[in-house]
Amino acid sequence: MSTAEPGWALPAILGRRTLALLSQLGGLALLARDLGRAARPEAGGLDRVELVRHLHRMGVRSVPVIAATAAFTGGIMVLQAAPFVEQFGAKDFVGFFATFVTFRELGPLLIGLIFNGRVGANNTAELATMVVTEQVDGLRALAIDPVSYLVLPRVVAMTLTMVALVLVGDAVALLGALGVAQVLLDVSLAQFLDSALSRLETWDLLVGLVKALLFGLGISLTSCFHGLRVRGGAPGVGRAVNASVVASAAGIFVADYLSTFLLP
Amino acid sequence: MATAFPSPGSLAALRFQLRELVKLTRRTLEMAVAPRRGGRAARRAFAEQMHLVGNRSMPFMIVTMAFIGAIISFQTALQSQEILPDLSQVGATFTKLLVRDLAASVGALPLATRVGAGIAAELGSMVVTEQVDALRMNNADPVETLVLPRFVACVVMGTVVLVVGGFVAFGAGVLVGQVAFGIEARTFASTALLNGGDVALGLAKCATYGGAIALVSSERGLSAFGGSEGVGRATTEAVVGSCFTIIVLNVLLSTGGHFLLPAL
Amino acid sequence: MILTEPVPPPDPGPPASPAASPAPGVAEAAVDLHAVSLAFGPKQVFRDLDLRLEAGRVHALIGPPAVGKSTTLKLIAGLMRPDAGEVHVLGQRIDDLSERALGAVRERMGMLFQNNALFDVSVGENVAFPLRRIDAGLTEATIRARVSERLAKVALAGFEERQPAELSGGQKKRVGLARATVADAALVLYDEPTAGLDPVTSQKIYDLVRGEQRATESTAVVVSSDVAGVLTIADHVAMFYEGRVVFTGSPDEARASRVPVVHQFVHGTLEGPL
Repeated sequence: MSTAEPGWALPAILGRRTLALLSQLGGLALLARDLGRAARPEAGGLDRVELVRHLHRMGVRSVPVIAATAAFTGGIMVLQAAPFVEQFGAKDFVGFFATFVTFRELGPLLIGLIFNGRVGANNTAELATMVVTEQVDGLRALAIDPVSYLVLPRVVAMTLTMVALVLVGDAVALLGALGVAQVLLDVSLAQFLDSALSRLETWDLLVGLVKALLFGLGISLTSCFHGLRVRGGAPGVGRAVNASVVASAAGIFVADYLSTFLLP
Repeated sequence: MATAFPSPGSLAALRFQLRELVKLTRRTLEMAVAPRRGGRAARRAFAEQMHLVGNRSMPFMIVTMAFIGAIISFQTALQSQEILPDLSQVGATFTKLLVRDLAASVGALPLATRVGAGIAAELGSMVVTEQVDALRMNNADPVETLVLPRFVACVVMGTVVLVVGGFVAFGAGVLVGQVAFGIEARTFASTALLNGGDVALGLAKCATYGGAIALVSSERGLSAFGGSEGVGRATTEAVVGSCFTIIVLNVLLSTGGHFLLPAL
Repeated sequence: MILTEPVPPPDPGPPASPAASPAPGVAEAAVDLHAVSLAFGPKQVFRDLDLRLEAGRVHALIGPPAVGKSTTLKLIAGLMRPDAGEVHVLGQRIDDLSERALGAVRERMGMLFQNNALFDVSVGENVAFPLRRIDAGLTEATIRARVSERLAKVALAGFEERQPAELSGGQKKRVGLARATVADAALVLYDEPTAGLDPVTSQKIYDLVRGEQRATESTAVVVSSDVAGVLTIADHVAMFYEGRVVFTGSPDEARASRVPVVHQFVHGTLEGPL
């Protein structure tokens, strides 16, 4: 594949990667701009029927896997805290530690990754299939703007869904952590809840939700972008899904990092 | 391959998938320990897959793990401030957490996204273009020729990638400790709390997750049906299934580790 | 092994084989499906399907879309298993064989897939693939000679080092054909060999199918939606409709058939039950 001269290989690769990254970011920005235009009331606004359909498909049907993930995450956090709890005798901190980490960091992060795999990938596959089967061209021929009809309801639905799922996940994770703490570390229910409620602030919960909002927006934009710009027929659909999932995952980590530092 | 298609998403479908996964796992493991046949071509397939898994995911994983390391270090230090009077233990705690769990368990999720999606898309398109049937017509067992090389490659190279990623995360963590909290790098980069059990548990997790990614994604890819849409669906299910399997395995391994390889 | 007479065919034409007594017929049949039932979930594809294809001829399987023509090929190849009934191929019952035991039967079969199913390796390696899988201890030189002879036969001489992605649809099809026939198969299955090809290329493919069958005295089973084309090379036609075989006979008998479904399908008219 690489036809570059050996001496030039690394700069060439770096250059290509940088260009690809920039063109992707540029494409995302353009899509976001189009979305902004499509959302204005005089442009037709949001298609309510489509929105509800996507909310159901993306949200309601993701609840089982998200809930299971969250329950395990809560449990794992307690499990990881166990040695330190035993070392420092800090039973009072278990509840706080588990909920703080889950609410602020791991909850949004893991739910974001699963959401990306489930809903983001699916979304790209769906849009890409519509493109290669010329359905999108069909919409254009009917003077229907694909951005306002296809992309806008998806982006809104995915962002809302992501926030709602993190809320659900937080609640379930709390239960998972509670269970493991009680069984494994002999931390009583009251002790756990007292520790969590007295030290945890509303802000900690909000940080997680802000992250969810960012992730949801990022995943939805990325997946729509990759779906719509698919090339090369049916095999291209697989490539588009792959590219979208990976780009979103990378985006999630970068956004997570930035928001961890920017939101104290 | 299977003539019964339970409706997707239902509990019956989940049970069916689980049964297929167990079957595939058993056959792959049987083949992994059986004497090799096939010679040069088989060796080439193994080398190719190793290269692919390592090459495909290394840059992505290095970037991702740097962010993960920075986030974990930041949070560990932030929380320690609440509990402990001084920050001298933060580095040792961070290192222990990273080795014992987070490098493998958090790193495996982006790895699953990257590698799992690739495997499922590749095998899925081989199924829908009838290449897998063509293999069977020529007495080439798909498990032996397709799944086994991917399994071995994921176990070996998955471990390598995750260990390298762990070091990157460690480096990023030390940097954050220094810059954001003013902890001397020499104090921070401490292995005081680390023991052999932590390393063993961490490596066991890496290898198990690698194998799980290969098996879950191969199973989903091989059961793809229905054109490019089917491949997209298989990819989605592979990513979600792999992530979810990793989280479940983490609970099992962490619980087992808690008793068999105690942290302290 | 009992071979019951098929359900009385709705067609008045006589059975193609004069040997009406069932017992000796077994040896001559390359393929014999007996009382085969198959369902995909709620969709019943076959109910008590009987089909007998004699050795040494070109058989055309025709019928409207999604009646199970390609599924029949997969049953014959052992790639799918029936829910009930027996599948006999080349004198052996295969529906209860393990994947490993099937290998011995498949070594005597070749198959051209609908999408060609070419692997992501060079054209030469694609054609050589069946030879390498057979444990006959063929030398590299023998394999090469055989591959180039095969490629020349399908008018692709010198294409060994090309990649499938560089080829046109007709060329890919011919590579698939070379691969299906390279191992001197006694039974070759062709799944829609001319789908998506222009009429001239289609006729070339049909001629290759027939030429190959005549030269090796093998059996060819061709599934095709291009009824007019496939009838030009077939010795025997079986038409599928609603999960059953509604007609068997020679191409001339098919054209002359008065059964409404068969008449309409073969002549492509608009009036009729279809």
